Amino acid sequence: MIDLLVIGAGLTGLFASWLAARRGARTMLIAYGRGGLELSNGCLAVAAGASPRLAVQRSKRPHPYALIGVATVERALDSLLTLLDGDGLPYAGSLDANLILPTASGRTIASAFAPAALASAALNSKQPLTIAGFTGFRDFDSALAARVLGAGLQRSVASVDLPLPGPNPRRDQYATDLARQFEDAAWRETAVRAWRPSLVGTSLLGMPATLGLRLHQSVWQDLQDKLELPLFEIPTLPPCLPGLRLEWVLRQACQREGVDFLEGARAVGRVERRPSRARVAGAVAMAAGGPQAFDAGAVVLASGDFLHGGLVGRQNGLVQESVFDLPVVHHSDRSTWVSPHAGDTQPYASYGLRVDASMRPLDPGGQPMFPNLFAAGGVIAGARRAEEGSRQGIALGTALCAVEAALA
Amino acid sequence: MPAFSTELLVIGGGATGLGVAWDACLRGIKVLLVDQSDLGQGTSGRYHGLLHSGGRYVVSDPASARDCAHENEILRRLAPSTIEDTGGLFVSAPADPAEFPDRWLAACRETGVSAEEVSVPQAVQREPLLNPALRRAFRVRDASLDSFDLLHLLASSIRSAGGQVWLRHKVKSLLLDGGAVIGAEVVDRSNGESKRIGAQVVVNAAGPWAKGIASLAHVDLPIALGRGAMIAMASRLVNTVVNRCKPPSDGDILVPVGTVCILGTTDEAVRSPDDMTIAPWEIDLLLAEAEVLVPGIAAHRALRAWSGIRPLYRPAPSKGAETRDLPRAHTILDHAATHGVPGLVSVIGGKLSTFRLMAEEVMRTVAPKLGAPSICATARTPLEPPGRAYHRLPRRLDRVEHPTSAAPASVICECELVTRSDLEAALRSAESADLDDLRRDLRLGMGPCQAAFCAYRAAGMAVRAFPTSAPDGGLCDFLQERWRGLRPLAWGHTLRQLEFSRRIATELLGLPGTGDGS
Repeated sequence: MIDLLVIGAGLTGLFASWLAARRGARTMLIAYGRGGLELSNGCLAVAAGASPRLAVQRSKRPHPYALIGVATVERALDSLLTLLDGDGLPYAGSLDANLILPTASGRTIASAFAPAALASAALNSKQPLTIAGFTGFRDFDSALAARVLGAGLQRSVASVDLPLPGPNPRRDQYATDLARQFEDAAWRETAVRAWRPSLVGTSLLGMPATLGLRLHQSVWQDLQDKLELPLFEIPTLPPCLPGLRLEWVLRQACQREGVDFLEGARAVGRVERRPSRARVAGAVAMAAGGPQAFDAGAVVLASGDFLHGGLVGRQNGLVQESVFDLPVVHHSDRSTWVSPHAGDTQPYASYGLRVDASMRPLDPGGQPMFPNLFAAGGVIAGARRAEEGSRQGIALGTALCAVEAALA
Repeated sequence: MPAFSTELLVIGGGATGLGVAWDACLRGIKVLLVDQSDLGQGTSGRYHGLLHSGGRYVVSDPASARDCAHENEILRRLAPSTIEDTGGLFVSAPADPAEFPDRWLAACRETGVSAEEVSVPQAVQREPLLNPALRRAFRVRDASLDSFDLLHLLASSIRSAGGQVWLRHKVKSLLLDGGAVIGAEVVDRSNGESKRIGAQVVVNAAGPWAKGIASLAHVDLPIALGRGAMIAMASRLVNTVVNRCKPPSDGDILVPVGTVCILGTTDEAVRSPDDMTIAPWEIDLLLAEAEVLVPGIAAHRALRAWSGIRPLYRPAPSKGAETRDLPRAHTILDHAATHGVPGLVSVIGGKLSTFRLMAEEVMRTVAPKLGAPSICATARTPLEPPGRAYHRLPRRLDRVEHPTSAAPASVICECELVTRSDLEAALRSAESADLDDLRRDLRLGMGPCQAAFCAYRAAGMAVRAFPTSAPDGGLCDFLQERWRGLRPLAWGHTLRQLEFSRRIATELLGLPGTGDGS
């Protein structure tokens, strides 16, 4: 018998599992894919604007922030930041002001917290800034980034392409390939020697986020020492290292706390219908070797939005929740789901489950569907996460709220 | 204002205009072609990719059917590398009119369109996903033709024969002299500069925009516009063109083109040549009709939808008729005779498959005005070195897998296997760094991920090649174009893809759509 079954291995599912296991619950995590963190820039964005805290406080129902409150968001962030700090992946930032961070396109994004290597970007520093790329590396372009960033900052930003040491690779390199090479001290030594002439006169250097995965912190430090330069990272196209580092720490932490992982298995919800009341009994994992049923005292559904498969849109205008087939808030005319312009607010992006203050999905009448089923993260309705810059704040806050309610 | 002069000015860089310019080059005429945007940005680039056998028209329009059958054989000789010899099938579904196939077959015999009946099991053996409950099946000489490749081939042939092709030059006015057209004033859209082009004859081959061009000489062209929607499925599904053997109607064809399979098409009367909207019912109908031919097709992943505008000549009497019932054949108007406006010839309608013939007929009218030879050479002058074989799908993969140099090819667009050197070469010969032009040239961003990755990579290369390009290298505009094609299909896998692309754009690249994007 499992106390808590968590469905989903993204930021929400991993964080919820770790929280639950740390509180002594027998916790199991079932996931079909590997979660969305390799698409993540590793930042913990809470809300855009001058003060993330104020933005959370001002949220109105049905926004998930209005259900959980700023105190829950703050407690969730505190526990994750403490974990990250203790596990050698320190973050910087605050709930009272956003960090402004450059991206690979040269435009900037706002986030309350960011990995130290990203947060040291110091865009407001007056030092001359140079953006470096790697020759032949497709997923970060120094010329584009420097040009757009310079236009935004209204000052000149230099760009340089640094050669990657070693024989010609047999295929294009991804950020993960480079991260592996950066973890090799001898390779770093060769690289630094080759780069020095191109970096004469450089005082602040931005590089694609490829500086190691598990050994990131020491790779970053070592490179700064060797180059004798302050160095910061800018996230690349996926696979995105800052997200993968966050995933690595969370997975390690889950394993330390004894979370059982069942991956590559699609979860199908199990419901127990008794005359008196219906409750969730657990899930069937459609795993290699056949379906396997798991009983659980409670379930946290962290299956994500459309991108991650938690929600599925149908040609006939129906939007379905993929594990328990819960009712989803959506428009039934599919031509209204997507706006004509990519940059506009997208109606589909706020579809999801309506939940109560304990994160229990509600039926159309506003009553909890099941007393022991809780939702967290992207599967919850009512937020425009991209525009609000609220994705990780909602993920962490709702995960904490759901776990506390589930274990109460 | 800079002034230029030419014997023949052609307006429109689609198959018709390029065909006319190529024909004129071969007659030794000095020719200049202008297009308001890029090659094939209009109807020619927005079609379903079919090289007609003629089978579609044998009953409704026998003359067109004959033309198609004839031109099909000629194009296979002139530009084989743009054609994939898929062959075609005409199939009759259980609910289709039972007597039609015999009528159709008799009409094929009369028009000289090659058609041979095969048993349904034979057809299903060739195309395993076909509905086994089909009633009858016939093999025809359909093929798929990459119009972007064809148009680029025509443009490069024109240029090497001494003709000029000016892209991104929009006609602002026609130069008139006592009622006669003597040239045009064009605006270079890349820098806003106006240019004056004097010409002895102007050919209006502007497709859906032809009415607007003619009106500049106070000529009212009766043109009806029919908009057709198409869907590209993410995999080939069939290797043969599959047509419904019934009178022409919505959703009656599947064309395998490259790595995709195109479902065509609908027909909606529209007023504006720029009206590219796609209604949900069109998508539902195309998928439902394709389902009759390939059961289960709607469950496959749809890649992208787009629409094209057919310009059709509609003189007064047939007013009110549905656009599909209008003759598909082309019309050539010598405005000296029709409207008392010498110097202007308009060509309207037609099909991509018969572009060469249309051009020949236009030049039959134009050549005498210029004192040029009356003999047309396009049917016997290949557009590429002889000996090149039909287009073969694995060619790009072969190049990536077996690079000629020691360094392996760096692939910028993984879906369509566009390499860094392909892009660099295209950027070197390009006049501007428009990513959408590079897409038409190279198929950049046309695969399953719809540019989620390669748009960024290519924008970086564009910025490097053209320091004067848009600050973001055209990244946002290019992604918006891809968005437009995904939106009509946004459910299931395609909605997921669309959100993936948006997530990269907004949260990793900080493009508009995020709170603090600067």
